[in-house]
Amino acid sequence: MRRLQKIEASFADIVSKYLYVSSNDSITIKQINTTLKDVGIKPRNKNNIQYLIHLMIRTQRTILGGHFNKLQQLYAQIPPYGVSIGKINSRNWYRKARGIREIYEMNQAQYFDEIFKLINHKNIYVRREAQIAMVVFSGWESLRFLPYLKKNMTLWQQIKIVEKLFDLHPKPKIKWLHRAYETDKLFGKKLLMRIIRKYELHGETGYILDHLNHEDYEVRETAIYCVQSFGLSSRSVNYIKELYDDIPDATQQGQLLDYIFENSEMDVDFYLRQLYSDNDELKLNIAEILWNNGYKEKVQEFYYEQYSKATVNAG
Amino acid sequence: MRKVLVIQEDIIILKILERLVLVNDFQCKAIRSLDSLSIEDQQTNFDFIISDILFEGIAPLEFVAQVKEVIPHKNLLIVTNMGQDKIKQEIFALSGIDGFYAVPIDLDEIEAIIQAY
Repeated sequence: MRRLQKIEASFADIVSKYLYVSSNDSITIKQINTTLKDVGIKPRNKNNIQYLIHLMIRTQRTILGGHFNKLQQLYAQIPPYGVSIGKINSRNWYRKARGIREIYEMNQAQYFDEIFKLINHKNIYVRREAQIAMVVFSGWESLRFLPYLKKNMTLWQQIKIVEKLFDLHPKPKIKWLHRAYETDKLFGKKLLMRIIRKYELHGETGYILDHLNHEDYEVRETAIYCVQSFGLSSRSVNYIKELYDDIPDATQQGQLLDYIFENSEMDVDFYLRQLYSDNDELKLNIAEILWNNGYKEKVQEFYYEQYSKATVNAG
Repeated sequence: MRKVLVIQEDIIILKILERLVLVNDFQCKAIRSLDSLSIEDQQTNFDFIISDILFEGIAPLEFVAQVKEVIPHKNLLIVTNMGQDKIKQEIFALSGIDGFYAVPIDLDEIEAIIQAY
């Protein structure tokens, strides 16, 4: 325990002196490495090295701006003797994933090639961390790796990637997004729609709209979820109305109906068309919209028409 | 000479802030908890106190109130891991807080305030 405290205190001293150089009390890289060695950072002391990695990552998370870059310069010149890259070669998936995480947390982009090989690893945690590493190292450009992903990307992983991209690269680079539109992977389409939503890319909403009537349930679900974050032009809402009939799931149609109602002017013809269509599941919702928006008589008309052909057994 | 008191439990942030203060020609007392404050320190009128709010055994708001009451100072800056909006609002509601910086922090912002003093 005392050893770890000593490492922590020495590391704190090193970082502070490296970040803020004083003319009468500066520190060289040679002195830094000697100090670390003196407190037990040696290749054979794996626990000490692991603790140093922990401190390095912790410190990096606390600082922004120019000093963050300076810290990375420091990290490139001190141990931990490639211990994280060593973990990547471990057979144990947990060590492998942890090694990747340490490398991208410390932004050691020199190991890019080794990590890239793991983006399709059979273990979900290993490939998750490898994919996140691509985002950390390459930012928006990492979208060009989408076609190379062979295994499904879970919703959780999509969200993690979107959040990481947003944290580290808040300025969108549309060029890479457009190139990625060509992906035929379903998870890729979902990921791109989530990125458009997160970055509020109003100019790219067409990509989401085009997937509202996709044949895959989950792709449609993502498109409907994402489109709800945007207010669209009447032209785009008209396009959604055109796609509405192609959606094979009543629940999803219902969600879209709510969106259309909340985001456009009352379009009586559209709702009447739906009321008189063969799609029975949403007629009550449609009737409610018409009833509450000044078209009671239209609903009553529809109601009585249902009995016009039926035999009435009165009396 | 102008004096700054830094109170941070995290030794790495403590040392970095201490160094930031020293290279800007202030005297600095850097401590990890209020327990390390001497009687003499309590009589010093610090130009700045740069403090965390999260310490064992005391609620954040209570801690800030205690610092304000016990240690004479001219400016109080908060640097903390607890950056939630609600906490920030509550801290500022106490009045007498001159800055609130949640981790991750841009050290240049804190340095600019000290240099402008």
